[in-house]
Amino acid sequence: MPEFLLEVGTEELPALDAPVLARALGDKLAQVLKEERLGFSGMEIHWTPRRLAVLVRGLAERQADLVEEVRGPAVAVGLDPQGNPTQAALGFLRKYGASPQDLKRKVVGEKEYLFLEVRTPGKPAREVLVGIIPDLLRSLPCRKTMRWDSSGVAFLRPIRWLVCLLDGEVLSVRYGNLTADRVTRGHRFFGPRELVLNSPAEYVEKLREARVIADPGERERMIQDAAKGVEGEHGVRALWTEELLGILVGSLEWPSPVLGKFPSEFLDLPAPVIAAVLHEEGKFVPFARNGEPAPVFLGFRDGKEDEKGYVRKGYERVVKARLRDARFFFENDLKRPLAERVLDLREIVYEARLGSVWDKVQRIREICKHLVDSLGLDGEQGTLLDRAAFLCKADLTTEMVREFPELQGVMGGIYARHFGEPEEVAVAIEEHLLPRTRADELPESTLGTVLSLADKLDTVMGAILIGEVPTGSRDPYGIRRAANALISLILRKGLVVDLFSTIDAALELYPQIPEGRDAGAVKGFLVERLRHIIRDDFGIPHDIAEAVLAVPRGDFLGALERARALASLGRDAALAELAQIFERLRNITKGHELTSFDPELFQQEEERELWREYLKAEGRVRQALANRDFAGALEALLPLGGPLHRYFEKVFVMVEDERIRENRLSFLRALLSLFLEIGDLSVLSV
Amino acid sequence: MRNGKRRVATFQDLVLALHEYWRDQGCVIFEPYDVEKGAGTFNPATFFGCLGPDPWRVAYIEPSRRPTDGRYGENPIRLRLHHQYQVILKPPPPDIQDLYLGSLEYVGIELRDHDVKFSEDDWESPTLGAWGVGWQVWLDEMEITQFTYFQQMGGMDLDPVSVELTYGLERIAIFLQGVESAFELNWSADVKYGEIWHEKERQFSIYNFERADVERIRKMFELAEAEAKACLEAGLVFPAYDHTLHCSHLFNVLDARGAISVAERESYIARIRELARGCAKGYLKLLEERRARVLA
Repeated sequence: MPEFLLEVGTEELPALDAPVLARALGDKLAQVLKEERLGFSGMEIHWTPRRLAVLVRGLAERQADLVEEVRGPAVAVGLDPQGNPTQAALGFLRKYGASPQDLKRKVVGEKEYLFLEVRTPGKPAREVLVGIIPDLLRSLPCRKTMRWDSSGVAFLRPIRWLVCLLDGEVLSVRYGNLTADRVTRGHRFFGPRELVLNSPAEYVEKLREARVIADPGERERMIQDAAKGVEGEHGVRALWTEELLGILVGSLEWPSPVLGKFPSEFLDLPAPVIAAVLHEEGKFVPFARNGEPAPVFLGFRDGKEDEKGYVRKGYERVVKARLRDARFFFENDLKRPLAERVLDLREIVYEARLGSVWDKVQRIREICKHLVDSLGLDGEQGTLLDRAAFLCKADLTTEMVREFPELQGVMGGIYARHFGEPEEVAVAIEEHLLPRTRADELPESTLGTVLSLADKLDTVMGAILIGEVPTGSRDPYGIRRAANALISLILRKGLVVDLFSTIDAALELYPQIPEGRDAGAVKGFLVERLRHIIRDDFGIPHDIAEAVLAVPRGDFLGALERARALASLGRDAALAELAQIFERLRNITKGHELTSFDPELFQQEEERELWREYLKAEGRVRQALANRDFAGALEALLPLGGPLHRYFEKVFVMVEDERIRENRLSFLRALLSLFLEIGDLSVLSV
Repeated sequence: MRNGKRRVATFQDLVLALHEYWRDQGCVIFEPYDVEKGAGTFNPATFFGCLGPDPWRVAYIEPSRRPTDGRYGENPIRLRLHHQYQVILKPPPPDIQDLYLGSLEYVGIELRDHDVKFSEDDWESPTLGAWGVGWQVWLDEMEITQFTYFQQMGGMDLDPVSVELTYGLERIAIFLQGVESAFELNWSADVKYGEIWHEKERQFSIYNFERADVERIRKMFELAEAEAKACLEAGLVFPAYDHTLHCSHLFNVLDARGAISVAERESYIARIRELARGCAKGYLKLLEERRARVLA
């Protein structure tokens, strides 16, 4: 069975994109081969920064023949009473080169038709492949595309060569200005510039001889083995991040470890600083010994061992220079207590209309005070939280944070500790930017959690109140990200807090400007983000999200819990009926606000039955809500379905007598309100 | 001194070697443009040279001012003014990466003894309305070059596209001369880099971070912007572009001074981009009307 190789040779692809593109190339090729009725027994995907390749094994020589049933005229039209083909049927036969005995009859719907079985012979694999490859290449999903010549072809980086081999034969594929050939390229510095392939099977081994490891899994093993070697030899542990490993695998064709050392005099730098220096640009693997940084690092040269030691010297020089910078920043930063730096925040503009970072800090402190009350923290915690809030942005004035912005917060914590602030304060500062995104790690401490909440809420409120609501992809203040992180924090930490009351209480902290928006806009924006997050991150179905957010509440955790209660109900006929009745209830009470009614005015038994059920349900619902038992509240509501149904069958609400009518509407309105404690059931799609 | 095709002992030798190399590739050897700017990209030889259909190859050195990068002359490598070596190749030849690597060998870097990586870095200049994709080139994990396929300039799609190579000359010279600080470099056989530049770094850092008068700089910005607009209305794209460059630099000074908020930043950038777009449009119109080469 033939083998097929397609290699797309590129200039260096971004390290984390190459694997995505390689997988897409394999998936799409498999899909197209299936569509084209070309069977195969196996597929291998290979990639490096300079190539995406797919090797197909056991490929069919030709497409399977295509057998299709083609419908012709109806029997009544195609055959005369004697059963002979009419002109219509003869035309149909001519079109497919068939004779009358090939005709078949088949009933479709209520009529019988003439059919032909048409067989299209499969084309040779070669012919099919030549036709599909350009479209396949065009269909690869690039995060961003570029042009590099005038051929009109676009890709993530320039494509410079194509290998397209079916066994020993080059397929004459053209793409842009390129014509496929059997010539690939070896390693940029340690392999031949041109490498002729005689067959697909020799791809991996020929590349290996040319100092290229085509298999990313093998490269990953080489990298990890090198790190393990260092771990064993030096009694240290590698500090991997998934991103660092991905970047290394994605940026090397032949990983060659280079172990570097830095002078141990730098070990008195805080561990996060050393890690930041080494992780910068995803280049070096840091190590720890007994939880403390170790003075070694592992870099990877591409292609070959560093025989002369020049590369190691170069790496060490770069690392030493950066550590020396970091030391310089650290020592300068320690010259002034963190608390003193807070005053400098008056000089840093946060936003022209929202004032300086100092002003932001004052707002965060006020919001914290409100949150302390609503979360029921004690006085001592309140005092510590206020101190943490006061200090939380001071590290913005430090040289370290200016140089390594990713250390913001972390440095604040380190400096706070250095200057004798309480440990709780240091930890809260350290954690107050978490989570940075909705998937990021969360603060562990209570104070860090509350401080983070206050900071993010201020960011969102400030921007929206001055009219900077994100539109489309435009979000210069990063409000969406801040709002997502804020909501994610509440939901994942399980915080019971009424955001709306906090927003109302904080409103006076912000300037009122003509183009600004009001508290309603802030709440609306947050609820919109909440809608997305419970759907996307918590798997709440679309309609249930709509139902529980129909009456927006500041208790965001409650919305998620209500949604979970609703989602746990089976989507059965009973729920469908309840949804329908609920819609009637909502429509009939539209525009009616009063909820106080007089049971004495009820006239029919169905009214009184519903009222009794209502009284029972109401007590249970209120009790359950007080305990945040939303499933229980929902359960208490369900028995109202039957009586409501009977009510609507027997009771005519809109009677002439105004007193009776208004009383009935008020009663129904009260009932509706009770249901709305869970959600608007009418939007459920059951 | 390392093995190489060319003896490059000093900073100025490095520049001369690159001039030779790129001259031999058919580049016009251009001069720095005498208006302050943050990067060699702002030189008209690049801004205008990338626009329009005509092939264009140019190389030049560009002293580039970045007020926020100033460190009072106390950082070995972070400089308020650094020297870029800039090459534009329009259209880019298919072996452009090899050509570039050849230039490193030409100035004396033995590639097989070192570690060279092309690491993803997409470039964007919101003020010029320009963007491109490409890499930072790392030599033993020190960044030495920005390598970019320009896709847009002055808000205009480019066809053909251009490749821009921007070498960080101080970094390459530090590598070649084996010193640890730019100020220790030999500019010539008997003059040190620091002797020429150190005091200037210190003074400009003080000026940019502490002394620049925000109100006056804002006024200067307004004046330059008004002048650029007036020139554009009169169809004088080149004078308009000079004033656009003034605006860009004055914005950078305000930025270093910490005088620009997030919201203001956006609007300042948009104002400069609007001018750059006007210049690009005017230039393309000029090319059309004259039906002749009007190079940058």
